[in-house]
Amino acid sequence: MKLDPRSRLLLIVLLTTLAVLSEDVGNLMIVAGAAIGAGILCRISFLDAAKRLKHFLSLILFIAVVQSLTVKGGDILVHIGKVQLLTSRGIGFALEFVLRMSVILMAGLIASTAEGSEMTDGLLKLRMPYELAFMSAIALRYLPVFRDEFANRIKAIALRGIDIKKLSLWTKLKLYGYLITPAILGAMQKSEELARALNARGFRAFKKRTMLRELKLSYKDWIVMITALVFTAVFLIRMYTCGALLVL
Amino acid sequence: MLIELENLTFSYQKRLPPVLCGLNAVFESRGIALLTGANGSGKTTLANLILGILKPCAGSIKLDGKNAVKMSPGARANRIGYLFQNPDLQLFAPTVEEELSFPFELSKTLTEEKKALLKELIKKFGLSGMETRFPLGLSGGEKQRLALAALLSKGVEYLILDEPTSALDAGSKEDLIHFINDFSKNNGVLVMSHDEDLADALEDKRVLRLEGGRLYEA
Ligand SMILES: Nc1ncnc2c1ncn2[C@@H]1O[C@H](COP(=O)(O)OP(=O)(O)OP(=O)(O)O)[C@@H](O)[C@H]1O
Ligand SMILES: [Mg+2]
Repeated sequence: MKLDPRSRLLLIVLLTTLAVLSEDVGNLMIVAGAAIGAGILCRISFLDAAKRLKHFLSLILFIAVVQSLTVKGGDILVHIGKVQLLTSRGIGFALEFVLRMSVILMAGLIASTAEGSEMTDGLLKLRMPYELAFMSAIALRYLPVFRDEFANRIKAIALRGIDIKKLSLWTKLKLYGYLITPAILGAMQKSEELARALNARGFRAFKKRTMLRELKLSYKDWIVMITALVFTAVFLIRMYTCGALLVL
Repeated sequence: MLIELENLTFSYQKRLPPVLCGLNAVFESRGIALLTGANGSGKTTLANLILGILKPCAGSIKLDGKNAVKMSPGARANRIGYLFQNPDLQLFAPTVEEELSFPFELSKTLTEEKKALLKELIKKFGLSGMETRFPLGLSGGEKQRLALAALLSKGVEYLILDEPTSALDAGSKEDLIHFINDFSKNNGVLVMSHDEDLADALEDKRVLRLEGGRLYEA
């Protein structure tokens, strides 16, 4: 059985909060472990996700490598003559970055498991105004559409006989102008059409809305939510007593 | 440009049955081939394969006898013009004029000759007076004509037109038919369409039907 959207929303909020608040590698590892657990609970296929996000993942790794090479401090691990290459602080920084991004990615993956109006229903049950809930759901729903459209535009520009790889950096930037302008304008056109379509179908014609599926929290949802909340509370208190919680 | 397809097979997802299945065809370097087929029969997919936007799962595509595997979509598009079913995706520039000139500006090949050719194309496709308009703000038919003019600015030898009349009124349709008949005297044209008027008015055409992933001569 699938988790209720509300439980998933809670997991997302807690995971991102912990990822942002945790400061050292040890704590982040615990949070990352919890994130993997949450991912398994939400039935995320890790292999598919890695495939889908492979460009993003390689970017994260690239940043981590740059960070570990440029941040200096702590023990010197690798050096050539007097030039420090790798220091313990650099590695720590990079690790923190990778772990934090992985947790945030996991939260994003959990968010993307929502189907159709699930998240809207969940947000509504949490007493968010319908218009707001609907807007956020639409935004999520259109992300892949824009991604596909952008990919198609890159192909279409290649079909103009332009070999993107062979261009100089400056012309490349100009080219991105040609890609982004119509994408933004197209998005605006699309949103106007969507608004018209909504009005044509009587959006907000009645004050009270009924729902096709009434959401109900199962015992499993309660267990997940309570465990997640207790875990977060214990974690934050422990960090606070160790003086690791810097914001407070 | 002679286009030869051999045993071409393609599916969007491994789990789904293939859209094209062992398709064989030869499109001559002169004359018109009219490709019909129900919605979803794979016409657009076939065009994307020929242009290299999609990669075949099996089989080969030969352009003028040379295997096209190693040719990039850009290299293929310099010789084969492909008018999208939805020309919105083919327009990029802030003005009609720039829409035609920007590929040449980017590659620094915008000569005086080219400029004259572009002016001529603007006139030929009834876009005079719209030079400074925003392409995506044009009407459907005007967008299609602009996209077609942009394709021809490169001097392509073959044209693939995907539902070219879907947005055209009777007058523009007549112009297009005239253009296709004329262009096909020296070049090849592959027209994918359900439009009966268009089908009747095209001269000396081969009619092909795409069904169940294969091509049939009608
Ligand atoms: N990006 C895609 N991913 C998965 N399936 C696709 C994709 N694009 C097309 N298809 C499927 O492939 C099949 C062929 O689509 P295609 O667009 O080539 O048909 P078509 O003959 O051009 O149809 P139409 O006459 O409506 O333009 C359809 O069943 C379609 O649903
Ligand atoms: Mg099509």
